[in-house]
Amino acid sequence: MFATLLSHQWKSFWRSATAGKGLVVQIFMGFLALYLLGVALGLGFMLRTLLSKSFPGKDPTAVLTGFLLYYYLFDMLMRFLLQELPTLSIQPYLILPVGRPTLIRFLNIRSLFQFFNLLPLLLFVPFALTATRAAYGPAASGSLVASLVGLTLFNHFLILYIKRKMIVNGWWMAGFLLVLAVLGLSDYFGLFSLSVLSSRLFMGILAHPWSWVLTALMAGWAFYNNYVFLYKNLFLEDIGIKSRRRQGADYAFLDRFGTIGEMISLDVKLILRNKRPRSLVMLSVAFLMYGFIFYKPESLAHGEWGLMLMGGFIITGIFISNYGQFLFAWQSSHFDGMMSANLQVRTYIKSKFLLLTAVSSILFLLSSFYGLLNWKLLLVQLAAYLYNIGVNTVIVAYFGTRNYKAIDIGRGATFNYQGLGAAQWIYSLVVLVIPLVIYLPFSLLIGKWAGILAIGIAGGISLLLQDFWTGLITREFLKRKYLLLQGFREK
Amino acid sequence: MITVNNIGKAYGGELVVDIEALDIQPGETVGLVGNNGAGKTTFFRLLLDLIRADRGEILSGGRNVAGSEEWKRYTAAYLDEGFLIGYLTPEEYFYFVGKLNNRSRADVDEFLQTFAPFFDGAVLKSGKYIRDLSKGNQFKVGIAACLLQDTQVLILDEPFANLDPTTQMRLIGMLRDIQTQRRMVVLISSHDLNHITGVCSRILLMEKGKLIKDLRTNSETLHELEAYFKV
Repeated sequence: MFATLLSHQWKSFWRSATAGKGLVVQIFMGFLALYLLGVALGLGFMLRTLLSKSFPGKDPTAVLTGFLLYYYLFDMLMRFLLQELPTLSIQPYLILPVGRPTLIRFLNIRSLFQFFNLLPLLLFVPFALTATRAAYGPAASGSLVASLVGLTLFNHFLILYIKRKMIVNGWWMAGFLLVLAVLGLSDYFGLFSLSVLSSRLFMGILAHPWSWVLTALMAGWAFYNNYVFLYKNLFLEDIGIKSRRRQGADYAFLDRFGTIGEMISLDVKLILRNKRPRSLVMLSVAFLMYGFIFYKPESLAHGEWGLMLMGGFIITGIFISNYGQFLFAWQSSHFDGMMSANLQVRTYIKSKFLLLTAVSSILFLLSSFYGLLNWKLLLVQLAAYLYNIGVNTVIVAYFGTRNYKAIDIGRGATFNYQGLGAAQWIYSLVVLVIPLVIYLPFSLLIGKWAGILAIGIAGGISLLLQDFWTGLITREFLKRKYLLLQGFREK
Repeated sequence: MITVNNIGKAYGGELVVDIEALDIQPGETVGLVGNNGAGKTTFFRLLLDLIRADRGEILSGGRNVAGSEEWKRYTAAYLDEGFLIGYLTPEEYFYFVGKLNNRSRADVDEFLQTFAPFFDGAVLKSGKYIRDLSKGNQFKVGIAACLLQDTQVLILDEPFANLDPTTQMRLIGMLRDIQTQRRMVVLISSHDLNHITGVCSRILLMEKGKLIKDLRTNSETLHELEAYFKV
């Protein structure tokens, strides 16, 4: 039975509409994963040397045990953010003579095959087998390895459990994050030391080799919790569907702009009510903090304005790039309706331009607090902003008309490459190159500020030509309308 | 109102729509029947310029639908869920469609009042997004949104298939009413021969993309169709 289920999973992976087309992307991701695992393994073998060099005179095992608890707490946070719930579309199996326990065990065991479970083993097992074995003997070494496995499994199933609970009740997320924050903060402010606790715990495990059984019990407990939860909730209604009452919304101030205002308010609702675009927007707001990376005191002191212009591009333009690369694909689920509604294509395109411009303007206003660091940053950001709303919007819309892949807006955004194709990679290249072509000649011949001014002026001129651009994009859109329609219909 | 000139659409080398000539006048309610794969939905998509025709053209109000946008002003259609916006509440969707057709909120509210029996209490103020409604209720939203528009052409793909019997009867009544009130072109497809002969003044029978019969509905039409579909 297990083998059959596994083969169905395998087929669903390779035969899904996105798998075949995104093969290049998947091969690339595969190599990336292999590379990361290789690095982790290399690090694992070098850990002993690294630790004894960084902490000379100390026992490397003792040093490492001080870190392990941090690692597992961090691991928990990362899993919480990135680990996906294993899903098997279970409906077809529920009516067949397959035992519920089999289905649940399958779901749980299948979920084990992933990056997060391999990482700690690659990092720490080589160390445990060499350094720890040499200093504390084989029993201690074996015990450490077993507890590492136990804790990894514990984390794995605990996070699955919390995430499943979260679907039913959002407070679980708040509670979990609160606990982690309290632990982190009390360690930071010295209320108690996680490092000491970690040392004690793991040195204890080394001293009493049988204590690894405890971690195994913890893992077993987490597994059992999951099992029971799924057993009780293996009805379609209970998982996933929140019975919250949905309220309509009305953005009165957009009403004044007629059809265009209506289209923008539709886009705003799309963003707020669907998981993938929503997390993209939150990401854009988080990117506001990028300024602290680009606008370093050293850079400000040395007047590296060109570098900081790059920061300005990212901060004010991240939404344009992120949302714009799927400008039309976001609406793939109702694109047929959009194209037969009483809506002229030109108006539709215009509304998209306005949306990108409006959000970018909000980001520009929010980012103005960097002016407190240095008022010249405001000029840099203004130039970047003008360029983004003037030029970048046009480029992104042009590439948007070439993106024929449907998007399921209900799915999460992390590690989600659905809808990504060659057009996006080319877009990233174009977006990087054009500003360089404008900036470099002026900056090299006259000076950095001339380059920045050129960027701002280029953006401003392009912005004045927006009517022309709207017409151009409308023509491009109409040329490929049938391809877009067909692509979006294939889910 | 609608004129078809030698329209053809092929998928994988096989013609799925292949109609030489067809003329539909205002005031006609036309029913499209035919087994699966006869090309009914593809024909509707061609009418709405959602797929590119391989040859020929469809004129709406004298202008080719491909390349013109004029027809959008007076055409309302509901083919499948791809016409609904899943993340809106039904009310928001109606306001949206209303806005695109220059109808005020008050207008829309008034219209929805008259639709209360049709919705049977399950659509309005349901506290759900359209994507969470049942398929039947989604269909009701789609049909209502079409009727909300003040149009001259109405296209519905298998409107009876997902509706409960009571709503089917209501829909038939409404289709008859609008035909007496405004003279428009109504195009519907269906597998229900009883309903379609009951509501349509003209029946087009399609087979493998071709129009094989064009009947004015009379008392014999139902028998004729039943004879055709008999195994």
